[in-house]
Amino acid sequence: MSNKLIFLYVLLVILLGIRLVYFYSSQKTYTKGERISFVTQVLSNPKEYSFYQTLFLNIDPVNKVLVKLDLDKRYYYGDYLKITGILDILVLDDLTPIFTLNYPKIEANFRENNLVLAAVYSFRQKIINNFRSNLDPISSGLMLGIVFGIKENLPKEFLNDIQITGVMHVIAASGMNVTMVSAFLFFLFKSFLKRQLAISFSVIGIIFYAAVAGFEPSIVRASIMGIIVFSAQILGRQQFSLHTLLITAFVMLFVSPQLLFNTGFALSFSATLGLLYIPELFKKWQNSLTESFITTISAQIATLPILLTNFGNYSLLSIVVNGLVLWTIPLLMVLGGLASFFIFIFPPLALFFLYLCLPFLYFFEAVVDLFATNGSTVSISSFPISLTIAYYLFLLSLLLFKYKK
Amino acid sequence: MKKHITYLLISLFFLLGIFLFQDFSTDDKNLHIIYCDVGQGDAIYIKTPGGKDVLVDGGPNDKVLDCLTKHMPFWDRTIDLMVATHPDADHITGLVSVLERYTVLHFVTSNTLKETGIYKRLVEAIKNEGLKPRYVYQNDKIDFGDGVVSNIYWPRESAFTEFNNIAKVNELSVVQLVSFGDFQALLTGDAGFSVQDRLLGLISDVDVLMLPHHGSKTGVSESFISTLKPSLSVISVGSKNRYGHPTTFILSLLAKYKIKTLRTDKVGEIEVVSNGETFWLSN
Repeated sequence: MSNKLIFLYVLLVILLGIRLVYFYSSQKTYTKGERISFVTQVLSNPKEYSFYQTLFLNIDPVNKVLVKLDLDKRYYYGDYLKITGILDILVLDDLTPIFTLNYPKIEANFRENNLVLAAVYSFRQKIINNFRSNLDPISSGLMLGIVFGIKENLPKEFLNDIQITGVMHVIAASGMNVTMVSAFLFFLFKSFLKRQLAISFSVIGIIFYAAVAGFEPSIVRASIMGIIVFSAQILGRQQFSLHTLLITAFVMLFVSPQLLFNTGFALSFSATLGLLYIPELFKKWQNSLTESFITTISAQIATLPILLTNFGNYSLLSIVVNGLVLWTIPLLMVLGGLASFFIFIFPPLALFFLYLCLPFLYFFEAVVDLFATNGSTVSISSFPISLTIAYYLFLLSLLLFKYKK
Repeated sequence: MKKHITYLLISLFFLLGIFLFQDFSTDDKNLHIIYCDVGQGDAIYIKTPGGKDVLVDGGPNDKVLDCLTKHMPFWDRTIDLMVATHPDADHITGLVSVLERYTVLHFVTSNTLKETGIYKRLVEAIKNEGLKPRYVYQNDKIDFGDGVVSNIYWPRESAFTEFNNIAKVNELSVVQLVSFGDFQALLTGDAGFSVQDRLLGLISDVDVLMLPHHGSKTGVSESFISTLKPSLSVISVGSKNRYGHPTTFILSLLAKYKIKTLRTDKVGEIEVVSNGETFWLSN
C-alpha cells in the first residue's frame, strides 16, 4: 500500500470516529412508562391477527418499537405516521426486551409524496400481491425472500425451519441479489446500447431494485459497490475489491452510524470479505462440483461469530443444506426478476415464469423440511466478545500467513 | 447460459409431472369435505365431484391457506363459493387472507353485522374482489350441478326479529346440509341448541355431523344427537383452547350414542370422501 493510500485511510477513520462519537453521545434513551411522540416511516408490512395488527417501527435511527393497533385502519409500506403513546417493555421468549406501544394515538397518516418513491412502493406492493395470489404461501414467501429479501410473507414455522437449517441468508436481502440484477441488466442493455449508456442504465436499474427491496443494509452495501465498480469501468479503471468494500463501509457508516450495530450490515461485510480471501485456502479442492460448498464454507467461516452472537445457534448440517440448495438460487432470482418485470408488461408471461420456479421451490422446501426435522444444531446461550476478537485475529493471521507465501 | 437452459428444460419437465400428478389426484368424481386444522375455529374446504371449490368459514388465522394449498392444484386459484356462517373472528379471519390471494366467485352469508376490525376487513376484501354478499335463508338451495346440493336450514327469516343481528350472530349462523346422493353432512357454524331444536323435524339421518360451536356446552342437545344419529362427528377445535372446548358433557353424550368422534386438535385435518353411496375417511 502506498503512503498516500495509508494517509487517506487514516483520515477516513478519524472522520468516521468523530461522526460515530458525536452520533452515539447525542442518542436519547427511553424508559418504560415514558410518554413519547415521534414521526416515523412504515418500513415493514403490518402483521395482521384476528383482533389487532402490529407494526415494527423506528422511534429514532437506533431504537425500534413494536406497535399494536386496531384493525380498522390499514397502513402501507412507505407511509409516514405520527404516533403518541406510553412506552412499555415486553420480554420476548429469548429474553430480549423490546419496546412496545399498545394502541397509541396515530395523529397523522400520510403517504409518501415524493412521486418516484411513491411509484416504487406501489410497484413493490403490486409484485407482492401478484406473487401471493399466484403461488402458495411458502412458495410466494420464498420467492419474495429470494428475489427481494422480503421475509414477512413466509409462514412462521417455515421461517423457523429455514433458520435451523442455516439457509436464512438465501431469503435475506443479500449482495448476491444486486450482483445478479446488475449482471442481468448490463447483459440486457449491452445488447442494444453503447457500453457507457448500458452502464448508466444498469446503475439506474440497481438503484430502482434497491428501492423496491427496501434499502436493506446488505442491498445498499452491494449496490454502492456495484455502482463503484460500474463507474470505475466508465472511467476505464480496474476494480479494487478490497478498497471498494472499505470505501463503501465508510460511506454507509458515515451516513447512517446506527448501522454499526446492525447484524445485516455486519454479516454482509464480513461475508463479502470472506468471499474475497478465504476461498484461496481451499484452492486445492476447487472444481465445479465443490464450488458452492467452498463458497458456503468461506462465508460461514467469515461470519460464524456474528451468527453465534446474534442467533445463538449453528446448524451442523447447514453446509450440506447449502450445498444442496444453493444452485437453485441464481435461477430463482432470474426467473423471479423476469416475473416481476412482466407483471407490469404482460401478466400471463409473469405467471409462466413463476410456474417455472415451482419445481425448484418444492425441492428447496423439501430439503429444508427434511433437515429441519432431522437436523442437529449447536446452541450457545451467549458468545463472548473476547472470543469473537480472538477468532478474527486467528483468521487474519492464518490468511496473512497464506498470502505471504 | 447453456447450463441455465438445461435447468429450465428440466424444470419444465418436472412442472409437467407435477401438473399431471395433481390433475390426476384431484379429479376423482367424489365429494371431498376437508375439515381443516386451523386451531380454535372452523374452516371447511369442499371439493365437489364436478371440481367446484367451496370454502365454508376461514378459521382464526391464515392456516386455511395451507389447507387449500394441500388440496387444490397449484394452477387453480379460484374459489367458486365462499360461505361465512357468521361474522365472528374465529370463522372469518382466514377468509380475508383467502380473498386477498384467491379469486372468489360467489360469497354467501347470513344477514348479520359486527363492529370488529376484522369484520371491516372482510367487508373491504369482499368489495375489492367485486363481490356482492348474498344473504341466505331457510329453504334456500345451492345446486352445484354435479349431484351436490347444499340445502340451507337456518337462519329462518323470522329469526331476525327474535335474535339481534349484531349481538346474537351465533344463533343466526348459516346451517347447511351438504348432500350427494345418499350422503349427507351437516355444517352448523356456531348455532346453539335453541336453534337446533327447531330443526329437529326437518333433518334426520345425517352421515357426518360437524359439532356446532367447537363442542361448546351450548352447542348441541341430546335430542339433536339422537335424531340425527350421525355415524361420524367432527369437532374443529384448538388444542388447550381457553374456552374448554369440547366440553366433557358433549363428549360423554357422543360416547353414550356410540358416535365415532374425530377432533382436529387430536388428529389434525379430517378428510371425508363420498361417492354418493357411502363415505370413508382419507388420510
